[in-house]
Amino acid sequence: MPDFSLNVNNTPYTVAVEADMPLLWVLRDVLGLTGTKYGCGVASCGACTVMMDGNAVLACQRPVGTCVNKKIITIEGLSDDGSHPVQQAWLKAGVPQCGYCQPGQMMAAAALLSKNKNPTPEAISAAMSENLCRCGTYHRIKSAIQLAIKALNP
Amino acid sequence: MQKATINRRHFLKLSSTAAGALAIGFMLPGLPALALPGEDCTFLSPNAYVRIDTRGKVTIYVAKQESGQGIDTALPMIVAEEMDVDFKDVQAEIAPYGTLKEGEHDTGGSQSVMGMYTTLRNAGAVVKAMLISAAAKVWNTSVSNCAADKGEVVNTVTMQRIRYGELVCAAARLPVPKAVTLKNPKDFTLIGKPEKRSGLKDILTGKTKYGIDLKIDGMLYAVAERCPVLDGVLVSVDDAAARKVAGVVNVVSYKGTGAPMHVRAGVAVIATNIWSAMKARKLLSITWDEGKKNNESTEALFKTFETLAGGPPAIEVFKKGNVKKNAGTNEVTAAYAEPFLAHATMEPVNFIASVKGDRCELWGGLQLPDWTVNTIAETFAFKKENIKVNLAAMGGAFGRRLHFDFAIEAVNIARQTDKPVQLLWERTDDIRCQPYRPANYHLLKATADKKGNLVSWQHHVLGTPIAYMTEGTDTKNAPEMDGANSGFCYAVPNIFTGYTPVDFNQNRGWLRSVDICVNTFPVESFMDEIAQRLNKDPLAFRLSLLENRPDFKTGDDPGANVQSPSRIAGVLKLAAEKIGWKDPRKPNHFIGLATHSFIFAKSYAAHAIEIELLAPKKFRITRVVAAIDCGIVINPDGLLNQMEGGLAFALTQALKGEITVSKSRVVQDGFFSYELLRYDEMPPVEIHIADSKEEPGGVGEVGLSTVAPALCNALAAAGDRPRTLPIRNEGFSWV
Repeated sequence: MPDFSLNVNNTPYTVAVEADMPLLWVLRDVLGLTGTKYGCGVASCGACTVMMDGNAVLACQRPVGTCVNKKIITIEGLSDDGSHPVQQAWLKAGVPQCGYCQPGQMMAAAALLSKNKNPTPEAISAAMSENLCRCGTYHRIKSAIQLAIKALNP
Repeated sequence: MQKATINRRHFLKLSSTAAGALAIGFMLPGLPALALPGEDCTFLSPNAYVRIDTRGKVTIYVAKQESGQGIDTALPMIVAEEMDVDFKDVQAEIAPYGTLKEGEHDTGGSQSVMGMYTTLRNAGAVVKAMLISAAAKVWNTSVSNCAADKGEVVNTVTMQRIRYGELVCAAARLPVPKAVTLKNPKDFTLIGKPEKRSGLKDILTGKTKYGIDLKIDGMLYAVAERCPVLDGVLVSVDDAAARKVAGVVNVVSYKGTGAPMHVRAGVAVIATNIWSAMKARKLLSITWDEGKKNNESTEALFKTFETLAGGPPAIEVFKKGNVKKNAGTNEVTAAYAEPFLAHATMEPVNFIASVKGDRCELWGGLQLPDWTVNTIAETFAFKKENIKVNLAAMGGAFGRRLHFDFAIEAVNIARQTDKPVQLLWERTDDIRCQPYRPANYHLLKATADKKGNLVSWQHHVLGTPIAYMTEGTDTKNAPEMDGANSGFCYAVPNIFTGYTPVDFNQNRGWLRSVDICVNTFPVESFMDEIAQRLNKDPLAFRLSLLENRPDFKTGDDPGANVQSPSRIAGVLKLAAEKIGWKDPRKPNHFIGLATHSFIFAKSYAAHAIEIELLAPKKFRITRVVAAIDCGIVINPDGLLNQMEGGLAFALTQALKGEITVSKSRVVQDGFFSYELLRYDEMPPVEIHIADSKEEPGGVGEVGLSTVAPALCNALAAAGDRPRTLPIRNEGFSWV
C-alpha cells in the first residue's frame, strides 16, 4: 500500500492506505478524527464537509491520493476549544438537535465566511443548501450564521 | 365485520409498564446505594437517577435515549429543580443499560417527559430531603428550620449555610425517605426557563461519540448486501472477487427472519476497514429466491385502496349514533392518499456486536433496548445476563431505532468471527430496506342538515398495518392507524370510523407522529372542505364544534385517552390570532389552518400557514405560525427547537417525501431520489406557547401533523386543493 502525506488540522500525517480510499474514511478510521461524518458517500448530504485549502469540500468525494499537499481542516481543527466564531454562533443560537450533521454544517458556514465576511442571503443559501439536517434545524442555522456575521463584522 | 379492541400503538403498549412507573428505580450495579459512612464516603446516590459527590458535583443519569429531542437536558432539569441545585453544576450522563427497571430505557411516543416527570421529581426531592436532614443534625435543629437554596442548605434561624457536598457523607448515613414533599409548581425556578442543551460543546467540537464513531479494540467493519425482496432467501453467492479486495477478512451470510423485525437475508463483507468492505460488496454475485411476493407495486397498492375504499371497512373502529340518518343531504365526500415514508436518520443505522462463546456485547443506539436484548437472547440462545449493552447517542431516530433489525444482523455477523464487528448500513440500504411509515388512503363522507349543522361523519382508513409486520397478519391489533377515533374531537352526533388493512411486502414501522400525522391530514383537510361547502369560515366552523365541549374519554377501557376539545380550540385560536386570520390580506396571499391533539402525549398544536400564489399551483410559503399547548413546559428552548424542526420534518412529507415500490423493490436509493427539505426551503416560522398549568405533555411529535393540512388548506383557498401527499405529485411547485 502506498504512503500518503497529509496535513490535517496543521498536523502532518503519513498514512498507508489504498489510493482510492476517500478522505472521509482516512480521517475517521485511520486518523481517528470522527467529527467528520458519513451520511451518504455520494455527495448528496454534506455531512462530511471539511475545508481544503479554504474551500468547503465533501470528504467522501476526495480519494486520499488527491489530498496530498492540501491544507485540510476538520471540525476538530476549526478551533482548539470551540471558540471559532461559527462554533460560538451555533452555541448561542442553540442550533443542534441530534447534532450529527452539525460539523458539516459548521464547516460549510466557516468556509463561506472565511472568504466573505458579509455574504448575501443568496450566497448563504447557495453555500448551505447542500447540507441536509433531518432534525430540521435550518431556522436556527439561519440565525447562527447571522450571529457569526455580526461577530466577524464588529 | 371484526370489531377492534386494541387501538393503541404497539410500542406504547410494550413500554406502558415503564411510562407510568412512579417508583424509584434500581440502584447502579457495582455501586453501593449509599456512600459508606466514614473515610470511604465519596458520594450519595439513593436512586438510579442522581448522584452527588463530596465536592457537590451532581450527575444525573438520563433514563431515556437521546436522539436530538433534548431529553438529556429536560430530564435532568426536572431532577435539578427538586434538588435546588444550580443547573450549571449538573452533569447529564446516559443511564447505563441494566441500571433501570425493564422498559424504563424505552424511548418513543413523546413519552419521556410525561412518563418520567413524577419519578424524577421524587428522585431529586429525596436527595434534597436527605441533605436537609443531615444539615439539621449538624446544626442540632429541626428540619423545619432548614431550607435548600442553590446547592446549599440554609439554617433559616441562624442563616448559617452548608454546601451540599459537605453534607454528602452525613446524608449517606441516613435512611432513604419513603415519601417526600414535592415543590408547588409555582415555586419552580428552573423548570420553564430556557436552558441550552447538555453536551452542546461536545457536539460543536466534533467530540460527541455516536454509535458510528465508536472504536472497540480489534474491531472489524462490515456492510451487507440484502435480498432486494422482503422475506426472500439466499440461494448462492459467488464471493471470489470480493475476497480478493485488500483488507477483506471474510464474507458471511445470514438468514432472514419474519416478525417482529423482518431482517432480510443478507451477505456481509467483513474487512479491516469500511472502505474495503464497501468496495468488495459491489463485487458480490448473489442469487436470491425472491419468493412469490416479488411483483408488487405502490401503483397497484393505491388502486387496491381506491377499489376497497367504497366497500365496507374490514374492521369497525369507532361508532356513535347512525351515520345513515341524514344520508344524501348536504353530502361532502373526498379521498386522500399518503405514501410510504423512510426515516432517513442522518446517522445511518449501525451497530457493533462482539460474540465470545456464550457471551455477547453490544454497542449502539437503540430506542427499545429491552426488547432488543430479549429478542437477541431468544434468537441466539444467549442468557439475558450474558448480554452486555453499551448505549450510544443517536444521530437521529424518529422511530427508526425502535426497530433493531440492524442489531440482529450485527450479532449474526459477529458470531461468525472472533472479533467485534461494526455493521454499517450504507445510505442506499437505509432508503431501500428499512421499516417504512405505512402507505394509507382515506375516504371521508360527511352530511349536514339544512341549517348547515354537521350531522354525520364517516372515515374509512385503508392502510398497510405495522402490526402485520411485528405480529403477523392474524393479529387482532391491525387498526393501529385508527383513523379519526384516535384524535377526532369535533362534536358530530353520528360518527363511523372503519379500517381496512391491506398486506404489502415491505417492512413497516413507526415514524415520528405515526398515526396522528396520518389522520390529521385528511381530517383537517376535510373540515375545510365541509366549511367551504357550507359557506362557513373554517376557523369559526371548527370552533363551533370544539368550544364549550367538555373533555371526554376516547374509549371504555380505564387506560383510554382523554380528549380535550377546549385545548384543541385554544391552540387554534392562538395560531389564528397571531397570523392575523381576520386581518386584510396582501394580494395573492392565502392562509390555511389546522389543529389537533397529539392525544398519546397530552399535547395540542395548531398551524397557520400563509402562502403567496405566484402562478397556478406555484407558491411560496411566506409565514408559518405554530401554537402549542403542552402543559407545563420544562425547557422552552428545547420545545421551540422541536417545533421548528418538526415543521421542517413535516414539510418534507407535505412537499416531496415519498417511497415508491416497483417489482417489490423500493425505487428510491438515497437523498437524490428520497429528497429532504433543504436550507433554502425553510420558511420563516414563529412559535407561540399557550400558558398552561396542566401536567407536562410530550413535544417531540406534536409539531408535525397540522403542517400538511394547513398548507393544503392555504393552497385550496388559493384555488387548487391537493389531496395526495406529497403535493409535488399533483403538480405543485414552490420557491
